Amino acid sequence: MGIKFGSDRSRSVVALIALVLGLSMFVAACGSDDDEGGGGGGGGSADATGKEVAAECGLKNGKKATGEPIKLGGIFTKQPGTDFSEIGLTAQAYFKCVNDNGGINGRPIEYVFKTEQTDPGQIASIAKQLVENEKVLGIVGNISIIECTVNHKYWESKGIYTIGAGIAPECWSTPNSAPVNMGPRYSVDGGTQYLIREKVKKLVLVQSNVPGTGYIEGGFLAIAKDAGIPTVSLKENVPIQDANSAALKAVQAAGEGGGVILNFTPPEALKILQAAQQQGLQKRVKWSCSTPCNTDFVAKALGPEWENQLGVNAELNVTSHDGPDTNLYRAVLKKYAPKIPLGSFSQMGFVQGKIASEALLKVKGDFTIKSVNDAFKNVKNFKTDILCEPWYYGDAPLHIPNHTDWTTTPKDGQMVIKEECFDISNVDPDIKRVEDIEAEDPSLVGK
Amino acid sequence: MPSWQDFQPFIATGLALGGVYALSGVGLVVLYRATGVLNLAFGAVGAFGALLSWELINNQGWSEWPAYLMCVLFATVVTLLYGVVFGPPLAGRDPLVKATATLGLALILLGAMSWIWSDKARSMVLPTSNENFSVGQVFVNYTQVIGFAFGVLMTVATAAFLHYTRLGTAMRALANDREITATLGVPVRRVEAAAWMGSGLMAGIAGLLLSNLVGLDANTLTFLVISALAAALIARLNSLVVTLLAGIVVGLVNALVTPILSISEYRDMTPFVLAIVALLYLSRHREVSFSRAAG
Repeated sequence: MGIKFGSDRSRSVVALIALVLGLSMFVAACGSDDDEGGGGGGGGSADATGKEVAAECGLKNGKKATGEPIKLGGIFTKQPGTDFSEIGLTAQAYFKCVNDNGGINGRPIEYVFKTEQTDPGQIASIAKQLVENEKVLGIVGNISIIECTVNHKYWESKGIYTIGAGIAPECWSTPNSAPVNMGPRYSVDGGTQYLIREKVKKLVLVQSNVPGTGYIEGGFLAIAKDAGIPTVSLKENVPIQDANSAALKAVQAAGEGGGVILNFTPPEALKILQAAQQQGLQKRVKWSCSTPCNTDFVAKALGPEWENQLGVNAELNVTSHDGPDTNLYRAVLKKYAPKIPLGSFSQMGFVQGKIASEALLKVKGDFTIKSVNDAFKNVKNFKTDILCEPWYYGDAPLHIPNHTDWTTTPKDGQMVIKEECFDISNVDPDIKRVEDIEAEDPSLVGK
Repeated sequence: MPSWQDFQPFIATGLALGGVYALSGVGLVVLYRATGVLNLAFGAVGAFGALLSWELINNQGWSEWPAYLMCVLFATVVTLLYGVVFGPPLAGRDPLVKATATLGLALILLGAMSWIWSDKARSMVLPTSNENFSVGQVFVNYTQVIGFAFGVLMTVATAAFLHYTRLGTAMRALANDREITATLGVPVRRVEAAAWMGSGLMAGIAGLLLSNLVGLDANTLTFLVISALAAALIARLNSLVVTLLAGIVVGLVNALVTPILSISEYRDMTPFVLAIVALLYLSRHREVSFSRAAG
């Protein structure tokens, strides 16, 4: 009796093993959605830092807009493990601020957003629903793992020019998409350039083991090759189950005087960085990280040992910056979306809302899909202290308007600027194409 | 191929993780032997406890040690409650049904963790991680030492408990035959409750250690039970010593494969590969079943 061996119940064994393997697949499914790499998580609370200003947006006249609403739409991923809603909800908060300050010449903006769960059919139907049923006139605040890939042709067919934040390659390589962020590929480029300036002897890129890593490492390889520095590309399954080993592996691959670039979401990057710290590895190599690490939480969790030891590529300014738009951004969050934390994601939503609102204020005559999208497309030389260089749309086969970044480093529990704005290298071919576009029409960037 | 020197640091990380896998595996085996339940919520309970501990330290102003205690207490109480409430009605069901029921608890806890704490970055660094020493070129911190030591000590302590105490003897009797043990006057429900409580205690300790060794992330910690499950399966849900050794081997192999770049990204398969190889080897001449004998 008891635990039996040799009974006729081998089916139970098979079932148990199947259960274990099923669980493993479930883990993989949970993990693989975690590599958005595009933005960054939360930072501090909205009133934690910086100068206090009044939340005055748009016409800034303090009068509530009461006219017929102008409908804008947005699509973002919201699923277990991947929630990009902070971006769209911050754009919405900015529109509320505009509506409380005279709206678009008296007319309020009505923001209709839909969430998706990385299902191409669902994403395509949401786009049609927004345009054909909801009758939105423009698309603002999109951020999704695959939305650009799925919908870019639909937007092109409808003459809709989206103002969003990107993840998929099509967000930066198609004519009707202009993100405010630069995404994981160019952010990794920026991290690579930082480490080259730090004179590392070898470069190691560590990323999540998910589709799209080949595209992301393309720029890293090109820039390192141009600088004559050997490279190693590593992938880690996420969620990382053995951060100590992952950190050790990266450091060993880089060798003495090498540099390691991490391209993960903040929780996964933090696991590796903390594991490195606990094993005394943080000074064995130079460390860099793509934009998602640019959050105060990471700085707080890492402590003083990482100051100047970690350089984070920052597509957007630090949230504690004292500048008119960053101060307004904090005020808008505090008043209209106090639960949304300071960080790259909410900064993106703010910038998108501001670009769209200011473009709408320039529309003459009726608000139609054509007039609204012409206004979006005509945005040029949009200056904000949240971005290094002016943002623009313009008529071009591709848009990477944000291709100039900062490098930040953790200090006293905050991310602070370590390197002022620098251009992402035009060794990466699409950056060269964008520079050529800007050279052909210097007015795009106010030159 | 990396040099021996390159492999050395991975021995420390592998032993630490292996120790915690062993600890978890022992928790699973003891519960299975006493109640017939393969507790798939083991990782989720520990993960919830660890996140609760983080919450108390970071947002409620608790000092560290009482918060760590709450982690263990939470895991113990939740596991005990589950066992007391769902154990008796499911006692007569097939082991697969009982295991699936615990998967329900795991998913409920996982959902609750996502809802309460979202997926934002957070970390738990135990004070023992700030103290370290070197063995040759290898840097070892005390959390790693504790991870390994706990695995070994808890295995020895559990084996001694089962062998030398009245309650342990009752648990072993239950493992042999629930009905006959009951007819002999053993308070079955109380003994089973003690097994659930012990398993919960181990889940809490494992969750706390893994939140530092691996990372404070609900998904990761919840599904690390799979590595422990592999260790338990290699031991055929039977032997504590084999579970200990299997846990350590799973941790070590997983870590030692890491610097071999050509296969490194497949290292998460280690628990399954080892479990499947072991089961195939063990079943060469006989059929293997983990089902407890009826009546």
